Amino acid sequence: MAARPPLSSLRRQPAVLGLLAVLLLVLVSTTGLKSVQAVAAEPVPIRVLMPAPLADAVAGPVARFNASGSGVALEVIRGPLDTETISDLAISSLLLGEAPFDLLLVDVSWLAKYVAAGWFLPLERWFGPEVLAAMEPGARLGNGLGEHLWRMPLTGDTGLLYWRTDLMERPPRDTEELVAISRDLQRRGRVRWGYLWQGRQYEGLSCVMVEMLQGFGARWWDDATARTVLDSPQAVAAAGWLDALLRDGVSPKAVANYAENDALQSFAAGEAAFLRNWPYAWREIEKGGGPVKGKVGVTSMVGAPGEQGGGTLGTWGLSLIKGSPHPEEAVAVIRWLTGPVVQRQLAIEQGYAPTWSRLYDDPDLQRRAPLLAVQRQALRHPQLRPLTPAYAQLSDLLARQVNGMLTGQAGPDQTMATAQRQSLQVLRSVAGTPGSPPGSPPRSP
Amino acid sequence: MSTASGAGLELRQLCREVGERRLLDRLDLHVAPGECVALLGPSGCGKSTTLRLVAGLDPASGGQVLLDGEDLSERGPGERQVAMVFQSYALYPHLSVAGNLELGLQVRGMAVRERQRRIDATLDLLQLGELRHRRPAQLSGGQRQRVALARALLRQPRIVLLDEPMSNLDAQLREDLRPELRRLLCGREQPVIYVTHDQQEAVGMADRIALLEAGRLQQVGSPRELYTNPANRFVASFLGRPAINLLSIEPGRQLGLRPEHLHLSEDGAVAARLLRREWWGHQQLLWLDSQWGTLRVLTAPETATPQEPRLSWQRQHELWFDPQSGARLLH
Amino acid sequence: MRTRSSSLLLILPALVLLAAVFLYPLLRYGWLSFHASSVLTGLVPVPNGGANWGRLLDDVRFWTDAGQTLRFAICSVALELLGGLALALLLHRPLRGRGPLRALTLLPWALPTTVMALGWRWILNDPHGPLNAAIRSLGGSSYGFLSTPATTWFFVVLADVWKTMPFVALLLLAGLQTIPVDLEEALRLEGASRLQILRRLTLPLLVPYITLAVLFRLAQALGVFDLIQVLTGGGPAGSTESLALYAYLNAMRFLDFGYASTVMLATFLLLLVPLGGGWLLLRRAGLERTTERAA
Repeated sequence: MAARPPLSSLRRQPAVLGLLAVLLLVLVSTTGLKSVQAVAAEPVPIRVLMPAPLADAVAGPVARFNASGSGVALEVIRGPLDTETISDLAISSLLLGEAPFDLLLVDVSWLAKYVAAGWFLPLERWFGPEVLAAMEPGARLGNGLGEHLWRMPLTGDTGLLYWRTDLMERPPRDTEELVAISRDLQRRGRVRWGYLWQGRQYEGLSCVMVEMLQGFGARWWDDATARTVLDSPQAVAAAGWLDALLRDGVSPKAVANYAENDALQSFAAGEAAFLRNWPYAWREIEKGGGPVKGKVGVTSMVGAPGEQGGGTLGTWGLSLIKGSPHPEEAVAVIRWLTGPVVQRQLAIEQGYAPTWSRLYDDPDLQRRAPLLAVQRQALRHPQLRPLTPAYAQLSDLLARQVNGMLTGQAGPDQTMATAQRQSLQVLRSVAGTPGSPPGSPPRSP
Repeated sequence: MSTASGAGLELRQLCREVGERRLLDRLDLHVAPGECVALLGPSGCGKSTTLRLVAGLDPASGGQVLLDGEDLSERGPGERQVAMVFQSYALYPHLSVAGNLELGLQVRGMAVRERQRRIDATLDLLQLGELRHRRPAQLSGGQRQRVALARALLRQPRIVLLDEPMSNLDAQLREDLRPELRRLLCGREQPVIYVTHDQQEAVGMADRIALLEAGRLQQVGSPRELYTNPANRFVASFLGRPAINLLSIEPGRQLGLRPEHLHLSEDGAVAARLLRREWWGHQQLLWLDSQWGTLRVLTAPETATPQEPRLSWQRQHELWFDPQSGARLLH
Repeated sequence: MRTRSSSLLLILPALVLLAAVFLYPLLRYGWLSFHASSVLTGLVPVPNGGANWGRLLDDVRFWTDAGQTLRFAICSVALELLGGLALALLLHRPLRGRGPLRALTLLPWALPTTVMALGWRWILNDPHGPLNAAIRSLGGSSYGFLSTPATTWFFVVLADVWKTMPFVALLLLAGLQTIPVDLEEALRLEGASRLQILRRLTLPLLVPYITLAVLFRLAQALGVFDLIQVLTGGGPAGSTESLALYAYLNAMRFLDFGYASTVMLATFLLLLVPLGGGWLLLRRAGLERTTERAA
């Protein structure tokens, strides 16, 4: 591997460094970094940066790990809970060159950018093919890029379809059934709305689009050409289906401003027959004790008739920061934190989907984590967001265009044509040419 | 010296105090219609204070300002129909000469045609027509003063106040302007108060002079009255250049003798020694040392001066003062 | 008399400094804006034939942010000018304890923006901030002031006005103090009311100071970054994102320095339009009157 070309060329940009200093000051002062744990008699310190909810979720296992006398003092840094904010924090530390952490909990949508920046060490030295083979097929996705393994997955969450067991006997098999059931229930006055989902202009809408594109036989990203293909007839049909949901009143117009929680609240109040959300929503509904408690079923996301549907992959995993002074100890921490003990606890306490196949076969865990079967089902056909370092920009413009369509600014044809045109412009602008291979290693200057 | 319902401007027991400081102490003064009274005195004597009280710019602590028997004390500065020429001229820097004249008429809502008529007439009177589009910054000092004067006259005021209107001009210009200023200001209907610290200007401009010191009126009268018959030592020494000689001849009495009243004579009563001679062309000033200190003597320029002359004077020119209070002693 | 060349020599150090801190980065951004320089190129600039500028013209986010930035700047500066003028007139009057009062009003301006923005974020926090605590104690329920675009925008403007109004007030106060008192007295003697004095005398004479304040503040407000970064991060849903923040995100979040340079340069060029326009407009309104010198 070339020795950090990106960083050295960054150091030559004083304006950038000045901005970084400001950002760091801001972020550190706003997030109030706190350490959860620090124990040791001369043990090797290993620090891992995680979003606060996940850091809290693993606090118990971390304490046990530190007490086990492994020679490592594991310290979990609680980062901000917003995905973008914690990524900004991580990037600003990494750009300065001396990251104050050895491990980073990485969202699947960041991976390509971080890998291209050259901030991670590949993990295949420690985790061979046989390790991944013991995981569910969907959980293996989004960890490798090019020839290397960059991330060990901790969770295997996907988008799921929630349905009301009190309103229908079985969940819909495809998008047409979903609409038909919805309209029937609405006509009979059983429920106000049919389907609730995330239509706000943000990453959640991109996740919905990933599912719909796949469900209609379209693709967002073509790995072979490293280009977007958003203007295919199938892609327009997918966008058109979402647009029709609002126009026909199956979904409320307000969906155009819904994030996960807005949709969940409305569904939990009994206002709709279907909901698109992540696994955590089930616990929220059952815990909340609202009118639909005990009346909610979960299934994997549907596609158009004859097409294979599937949920967007929203997994977290641990990556090793290049330049960590103790890579061996850090890998031991990865092994422990992504191991079955921790994943079991996360499944029971937080509802996160495990990645190890044998956890899905565990009858005790099946009993204590009722979504397990559905989650395993969903991991059979998961949908991956485009694995390109330019994903954030592509996702932003797609969400913007689709949200514009939902608020009536343009039809599906024009929306997807614009999104495609803008995507190619972004790729040309970012890469020089539209279509350099994804995640290609950075060239040395 | 005035009656309650007299015409003109009357100040009665006018006072101004700021905190503990008494800036003006019970001033009584009457200015007849068409009369120009100069307020004269060193800086801080209360002359500008008086002017601001008459204009209504500062509140009086006591006393009254009457105009033609009418009490102005309760009226604001905008309602007194007072025109004032400021020491700085206070021309509006963002407006042309014509604009400076017009603004006051505008704020009082005068019709455009009437405004134009008055402005044209006033500019003609002061020969400012060619400068009407200039800004104040583009005018000379004398021109600015004329604009300020024009602005004051334009509004046909009932009282005209001038606050050191010539102190920013050079000496030559000051002398040249005096007759013109008198022609424009005095002898009209309004009483005029003219504030200055320059006695020449006061003598040149005013019908009467009111001399102030430390907030108190010392004496008021014609220039001749004040010069020949001063009420006290301050009046005697303030007026007249070179200043009066003060001789402590006897205990309890101080003798004032003006330099022009001392004569060189063989049989003079006082022996002196010549220190220095200033030759002024029309006169010469001698500085002499005597047993009562240094004396100033004015003589004709050709008068021969011995090194040790003797001095004499006429009794009628003697002015006697109380050495402590400075009050005039009459005998 | 100084010769032309010797006066040029005298301003040379200033010119060199200006070129180093201003011209060089500008030229560098200009050059970089015709290159791809991102993680995909290993941060090595690769010519991309003007693709950045083509992308910019079609970039909805850029133009949305441009509109938002302009709206923020116009509203903030207008409110700051009105409030600052009122405050300056108040502080100009002879009041007891005027000195300490002046110092006190300057306090918000002396606070670092990040600290100030953090303070506002705490005040507006849902549900733990004092504002929501007050609403609850009055029987209402907590409101997400920073999760609704309209209220967020309102508080961003309010925070900016709160912070920079004292600066505008101070500038105008300095202007008020250059106006000789006797000008006002002369107009009072003419029978003018307070309002007439303000309109006919004070405001025209303040024009150079108002111009300065508006241009200065407009330039600052159009480049707003730290306040928004800390208070809202550009949210909710990008509704308060400014151009400066977008340029920053392109560099820091997207690691795309070629496009970040393009956005920065385009922002600079866009700033020139309102600034130049404002300058010409105010200049025509009377700046030259008071800068004229006697012939």
